[in-house]
Amino acid sequence: MELQAIHDTLKAAGVAGLLGCDEPRPANKKEKDPGRAGMPFLLVDPAEIVPLLTACRDEPRLQFDLLIDLTASDPAADGDDLWVLIQLLSLKYRHRLAIKAHLPKSALSIASATAVYRAANWHERECSEMFGITFEGHPDPRKILLPDDWKGFPLRKDYEFPTEYHGISCE
Amino acid sequence: MGLLEESLDDNVLTTKVDWLLNWARLNSIWPMTFGLACCAIEMMAVGAAHHDLDRFGAGAFRASPRQADLMIVAGTVNFKMGERVKRLYDQMPSPKYVIAMGACATGGGPYFKYGYTVMKGVDRIIPVDVYIAGCPPRPEALLEGLMKLQEKIKRTPVIRRPAHTL
Amino acid sequence: MSNSTSNTPEKEHKSSYRAEERRTLSSGEEEFFFDVKTSDMEVNMGPQHPATHGVMRVLIRCDGELVTGSQVHLGYLHRCAEKIGENVEWLQYLPYTDRYDYLAAMNNNLGYSMAVEALMPGLEIPRRAVLLRTINVELNRIASHLVAYGTYGLDIGAITPFLYAFREREWIQALFEKICGARLTYSYIRIGGVFNDAPPGWLKEVGHFCDVFEEKWKEYRDLLALNHIFIKRTAHVGVIPKDMAIDFGLTGPMLRGSGVDFDLRRDMPYMAYGEAYEAGAFKVPVGSGEKGELGDSWDRFYVRVEEMMESIKLVRWCLGVIEDGPIIGEIPKVIKVPAGEAYVGIENPRGELGHYVHSDGGKVAVRCRVRGPSFTNIAVVEELMPGTLLADSVAIIGSTDIVIGETDR
Repeated sequence: MELQAIHDTLKAAGVAGLLGCDEPRPANKKEKDPGRAGMPFLLVDPAEIVPLLTACRDEPRLQFDLLIDLTASDPAADGDDLWVLIQLLSLKYRHRLAIKAHLPKSALSIASATAVYRAANWHERECSEMFGITFEGHPDPRKILLPDDWKGFPLRKDYEFPTEYHGISCE
Repeated sequence: MGLLEESLDDNVLTTKVDWLLNWARLNSIWPMTFGLACCAIEMMAVGAAHHDLDRFGAGAFRASPRQADLMIVAGTVNFKMGERVKRLYDQMPSPKYVIAMGACATGGGPYFKYGYTVMKGVDRIIPVDVYIAGCPPRPEALLEGLMKLQEKIKRTPVIRRPAHTL
Repeated sequence: MSNSTSNTPEKEHKSSYRAEERRTLSSGEEEFFFDVKTSDMEVNMGPQHPATHGVMRVLIRCDGELVTGSQVHLGYLHRCAEKIGENVEWLQYLPYTDRYDYLAAMNNNLGYSMAVEALMPGLEIPRRAVLLRTINVELNRIASHLVAYGTYGLDIGAITPFLYAFREREWIQALFEKICGARLTYSYIRIGGVFNDAPPGWLKEVGHFCDVFEEKWKEYRDLLALNHIFIKRTAHVGVIPKDMAIDFGLTGPMLRGSGVDFDLRRDMPYMAYGEAYEAGAFKVPVGSGEKGELGDSWDRFYVRVEEMMESIKLVRWCLGVIEDGPIIGEIPKVIKVPAGEAYVGIENPRGELGHYVHSDGGKVAVRCRVRGPSFTNIAVVEELMPGTLLADSVAIIGSTDIVIGETDR
């Protein structure tokens, strides 16, 4: 199913928070648009993420039953947003859905998707330790990959590499 | 490292006893199963039948550090694992040897520059006897490293005074 | 050990003796001890352990041999692959992709290259490159499943199949060495194609390997997979029902072992797989519960064993259609990927390996996210282990066929 059709199905199902489709477009020299290559994303409001994911999973024409990936991205050091990126897959219809939510750096909090997909549990733990995003309602918000006393959020663009850890030099 | 340092002079008897003890040690170095990352697969390949490690006497991989002589640090060591490496090294009884296998254990490997949590070489926490280069080193390289370690053991004084070595 | 936390409270274990059941012992005395209270013990499995497939720590709470709780701790091989992706150039990142799932390095290279190529729509990958990619990826799948086969036997206690599996694996590694120079971390499949053409005689040797392996495969299947003791150890152990597998986001043989018929190579085809499936070159093996229950460890293991055979058939098909031609598309020396974002998922021997790349038009990526299948697959172990015996926990962890380089990246 194409992204626009998925968007319309969700809208018809009464899901709020749909902010549009981010489709790839070719470069347009006249409007000084460098264009965007790659794949389409569904832009959503982070406050409505759990009802949206529930609808994606349960809607009979969508049936996105596998949560493939839940991660985040820091597109620019001087930007004010972090992006939360979710990839879904439907086993029955064999289509994918890519969701993007913009989170302001000043309010890095989003509802946890663990109630909808249990796969989100560990993905959210990794996301929160790497970016500092708080997932509200997560059952087990511990660090997963980094040591328990690691300082800082490594995958942010403004992360400073440490110089030493417990007396061992990092140089 | 010299037993009976004051009483025994360096003579034919002590060198022969040392030779015998070292011969026994170098032909039965039992490694600990300590594969961390990709180098572990090449270490497993060395233990398998094609490049046989058992013909060097080193084929009995012990799971417990208390029964092992050799720790082949095969793979990247990061800070979280480094504490456990140190603890395992401390648990090994003397005489113990360490081979740093691969670029990551030697000096951080490809993760040298931007690996924020990678320890740049395992010799920052434990003393290493032999370094093997490669990413991952060929099984033949690991065998050469083991043979270099055997040469090092050969010239180790056990009963003799440590000054009379090499 | 460092602070170990369990997420459910310690349960008090009350003995099942009752005073009325007090027995008289052979010495004539009456039994004295009853109403014995014991508490569960917390045992650490790993990070240095012969059966955790790498450096993973599983904290097990057990009541004697019975496991009552388990917690998986990762991060002992976290090598910051995603941060490195944001700091090195596109082509320089390729060797790092080899090293997360180091048993199937060709697949990782392919996943990354396909993700970057998705951002370069004008780039055409020549036919010979596509077929060489497919041959190498499938040979790597066989090599990876051979390690899974051998090490699973080793975990269960069967030491011989490991040596036999590595015999064939040495041959595959020699083939890879002839084509790209490396035995384990290849960096062979590059953006735009492959970097080295097959030397003369290579394709013929691959055909010869297929013939020999077909005979050996029957031996391997009879030696371990259909072995009575092995079946007793793995059937009915670690059963993952279908809905649980889907809820946990499992992919690959973990999902197919539970009876879900889904394989990215057939259902969302890429490279030469679509064409190969149309030509009947391979089937997708799915677990059937024939030796135990559907979704148990034996099913997952047998899916991998059967996949080795399907890979041989695929390689044979590719050898039948490959022709001479260029091996890499038109790419500049220093690659500047057009601005955009793409996610591409391919079928790794362990599941869906996904790469999300975000480019701003420069030489370095803005974000390079790796979705490793082992990371998602191992999460289900925390759910499966309580209620089993300690020896079964090893069988469960082995059946997930994880590679810690991929869980931790």
